[in-house]
Amino acid sequence: MSANKISRRTVLRGLGASIALPFLPSLMPTSAAAKTFNQTGTAPQRFACLFMPNGVNPYHWSPEQVGTNFELSRILQPLAPVKDKLLIVGGLSNKNSFRTVEGHYTKTANFLTSMRITETVDSDVNAGGMSLDQVMAQHIGRNSLYPSLQYGIDRMRSGVCKSTGITKLYGSTISWPDPKQPCSLEIDPRMAFDRMFRNYVPGKKQVAEDPFKKSVLDIVHEDAKRLEKRMGIEDRSKMAEYLNSVRAIEKRLENQSSLEDFEAQITPDMRQELKKMDIRIDEWAEYTEGVDVTEKVRIMLDIIVLAFWSDASRIATLMLGNSASGRNFSFLEGVHDSHHAISHHKSDPRLLEQYARINTWHIEQYSYLLQKLNGIKEGNGTLLDNSMILFGSGLRDGMRHSPADLPIVVGGSGGGKLKTGLHHRYEERTPLANLYHTMLTAMDIPSNGFGDSTGELCELLV
Amino acid sequence: MNTLRKYFVLACLLVPFSLTFAADGEDGRHWRKVSKPILEKHCSSCHNAADKKGGIDFDNFYYIPSVVRRGDMWLKAIEMMETGEMPPPQKPRMEEHEKKALKDVVNKILNEALADPDPGASVMRRLSHREYTYTIKDLLDVDFNGQKFFPKEGSGGEGFDNSSGVLFMTPLLMERYYMAADSIIRQIRSDKKHWRELVSTSYRPSLLRRSLNWIQGIFSDETPRWAVPVSRARQVVVPFATRTYRGFLTQEEETGLIDFFNEVYFEKELWKKRDGFDQAMATIFKRILVSPSFLYRTEINQPIKRPYSISGLELATRMSYLLWSSMPDDTLIQVAYREDLHDPAVLNRETRRMMASPKFHRFAESFAPQWLGVEEAMKNPQADKELFPEFTGEVAAAMRQEVIDYFKYVFNDRENLLELLDSDYSMINGTLANHYGIEGIEGEEFRKVNLADYGRGGVLGMGAVLTATSLPVRTSPVLRGQWVLEQILGTPPAPPPPDVPTLEESEAADSELGLRALLEMHRSSPACSGCHAKMDPIGFALENFDATGKWRNYYKGEVAIDAASVLPGGHEIDGPAQLRKALVEEKDKFAENMARKLVSYAMGRGIQFTDTPTIRAMKKSLLESNFNSKEVMLTLVNSYPFRHRRSDGTDAYAKK
Repeated sequence: MSANKISRRTVLRGLGASIALPFLPSLMPTSAAAKTFNQTGTAPQRFACLFMPNGVNPYHWSPEQVGTNFELSRILQPLAPVKDKLLIVGGLSNKNSFRTVEGHYTKTANFLTSMRITETVDSDVNAGGMSLDQVMAQHIGRNSLYPSLQYGIDRMRSGVCKSTGITKLYGSTISWPDPKQPCSLEIDPRMAFDRMFRNYVPGKKQVAEDPFKKSVLDIVHEDAKRLEKRMGIEDRSKMAEYLNSVRAIEKRLENQSSLEDFEAQITPDMRQELKKMDIRIDEWAEYTEGVDVTEKVRIMLDIIVLAFWSDASRIATLMLGNSASGRNFSFLEGVHDSHHAISHHKSDPRLLEQYARINTWHIEQYSYLLQKLNGIKEGNGTLLDNSMILFGSGLRDGMRHSPADLPIVVGGSGGGKLKTGLHHRYEERTPLANLYHTMLTAMDIPSNGFGDSTGELCELLV
Repeated sequence: MNTLRKYFVLACLLVPFSLTFAADGEDGRHWRKVSKPILEKHCSSCHNAADKKGGIDFDNFYYIPSVVRRGDMWLKAIEMMETGEMPPPQKPRMEEHEKKALKDVVNKILNEALADPDPGASVMRRLSHREYTYTIKDLLDVDFNGQKFFPKEGSGGEGFDNSSGVLFMTPLLMERYYMAADSIIRQIRSDKKHWRELVSTSYRPSLLRRSLNWIQGIFSDETPRWAVPVSRARQVVVPFATRTYRGFLTQEEETGLIDFFNEVYFEKELWKKRDGFDQAMATIFKRILVSPSFLYRTEINQPIKRPYSISGLELATRMSYLLWSSMPDDTLIQVAYREDLHDPAVLNRETRRMMASPKFHRFAESFAPQWLGVEEAMKNPQADKELFPEFTGEVAAAMRQEVIDYFKYVFNDRENLLELLDSDYSMINGTLANHYGIEGIEGEEFRKVNLADYGRGGVLGMGAVLTATSLPVRTSPVLRGQWVLEQILGTPPAPPPPDVPTLEESEAADSELGLRALLEMHRSSPACSGCHAKMDPIGFALENFDATGKWRNYYKGEVAIDAASVLPGGHEIDGPAQLRKALVEEKDKFAENMARKLVSYAMGRGIQFTDTPTIRAMKKSLLESNFNSKEVMLTLVNSYPFRHRRSDGTDAYAKK
């Protein structure tokens, strides 16, 4: 056992630099959706949202020109390789974030619900509505093995903010399948990867599915139903969470055809890619966990790419940091303090400079994801073309904590539904939810609006 | 006929009306008559549903229960009205008779609410990850690190991870529970001795039995079933499930478990396998470990309106999760079954026994870092590695341990919680001594060391606290001051105004050298001075500790540190030792804060106004017993909320 481990480590070291390279999209076969594509003539749409904490340096975010002929702003520079696949939308506000008692947490939990959160330490946690990604998961996510994925980089925030009476968990999560319940956040790349791909990594011991799993789940389902009868109203809502969770696993066990489609996609070439990814995660865990946050973000992004490509999932969110994140960004040249401290720049030019550099790092990660997706062919275009990848923050200027004129970019056109290569500015105080409503339309998801939306942004639709 | 129908229609129309208006009866009408004009005239122009200044909406207190629910806020509002802080100077003044009328009606409502004891809401709690870990340890003697394996969670109440309101169940977590159960049972099965301790009996069908089954199979499609394996299964499963579910099984539950055995053993034909009986047992154990009866601490909901005493076993469970973060042991279960746990003598005896058990260290481990808010900072330290190369993961871990060991020592051995604030010692090991610059302490083991000569002692000298309240590259007197006000005294400053005015002299913003000048600026600005005059002086007194808690006499080896400052009220202090003495003077606030933290931790929810009598009793116990830790715990377990329950859904003051 231990001898095995040593030799494995030696192998890891021996492989050295070559495995540190991210997987090469060019080696990957056309995406799994090809099958669906051939059957229906349209590829499935994907959606991801990358959340950036602490707002942006307002002087270096918005491109100067609007329309199709615009220059990328300083912070947006890393997006140059995919500029013609971007939609930059200015002027949007998350109106339900106005007039909250607190600066960050209340403007994070509702980033994708566009409703008002309930200010509470614990008794009635509520984000006001279901989040955009979860609405999409219900409609287009349910056809894949995992209706949606929720990833994060940092541990969920603990503690409560006593002066405002708010639980800090509001600052760690943007995905709400139910207004009263956030999703769990996966922050461990190993667990995220193994959950979907472990059994397909060559040379790795396979974990057979427990033959009695379904029976066990059926029976605990009954347990819960029975207990429910002896319970009061509040406890019943807790039991409903339990029942929904059990049901979600049962559904996956029953969904044999999705599993077969998924497995058919894992070709021998792909298995080699998975193996590289597997080793890369080991490397990260062994040498750079807690040190190299960029590598961790990229591993999580690559897992999202793999999930989209293999059709394991079509919907994902990633918290690039919790709100009010105090991440020490001094690994960036010229940056000397924590993210949150710098975001309160007091108009000091030196702090504003550092703020812009931190923002740029976030955009680099976003660009990495877009380029990866853009490298994978799907139908007549690329995986990126069939996706809508939202990037944004719940604040504009971190010093002002203002939820007006939010920094918002969408990459990909959702299968030719959204215009791209465009910077469009709306009137101040146009609801952010109008964009979400538009995205639902782009996905052919019927809705009478979303959150506090007042209409669609028709100018953005093709 | 026609008339009757008319009356009927009229009655239908009136009933809902009368119900709405009768919800709080005559008192309610009086409340509205008195309060509405005053609030509308003086308060709701800012504190309304749209503006909600300070998070308060005075349009939202139509019914009495809504007033009681935010009783603390109302007390504060009355106080501010009396001191003249509110309404603000630019608004019309309140007449004396208006003040009196409002104060009287609010006091009447709040006093009446406290006259009837109320245990508050008690929503079923899922095991926290820590509780899962320890319950598995005590139940099965398996080390399984749930805190590492399960997705991280947030906190609620007064900042603890055991608050029912934030203990959600999600598909991902459910998946992990299944995997956890699988891996735990697998681990036990891999060790024959361990497995036999759990499954003391086994079964293999005899040759005769197998032949009979084979013959029967020829003539019939019916699944063969026979009694022996079933009775052996029952022998193992029933006691195990009883322990795991922390309560006696209902007939239905027992039948359910045996039916499940029948399904896997007979119908799924495990009996044909060599180790079929053990496989069936393993499957049942897994099933028990993912059952809601294990994962949630359920209490029977009595369909009555009045609060009622919880059962002995339920009380035992509350006690053991409070003191041990785990299930009750056999002794406690026996006591709950044979004696009256509600009898103060029995309750105190058992509580003392549990506090003396080695398992009680889990309380310190769980409570102390969460109370002090250092958990996140120590598990994910952000101090700059280039500026502070000596601040390693090992040092961070030692700092966390110092908090726990110190709390444990003060709680168990000194029995004096005031020593958390002020003492001349701490619990450190070689790593930490090295970091703190203390000579002659070596080795891994933590021990009590006198630190009078090093400016340390009490939580304010702890690396964990000093680091958690610093920025990655420098100290922040503001954060440290805020921390003391919030975590120690329970009087958090108001959040900064949304649009902080620009400070001209911000040159020094990222340099420690000019911090004091910058903060003087803070305090000269009227928007900031109120809170910063309270926070900054506390932080200044701690400036000799750098951003990783090391002692220093100079900033960057050049400018001497000035740790002198003036607390609000003119109290002059210089350095950490005098700050500690000043804090001890605030023992009243500290006692109240401690009481709130303990009640919230024990009840798994935020403090409600109806907890006021309990908080008062605990505060009194602390102040009168020289902050005796054991005494206050006894007050807590004897308190009304801890031993009672309100039928779910009948809580008049819960938010609907």
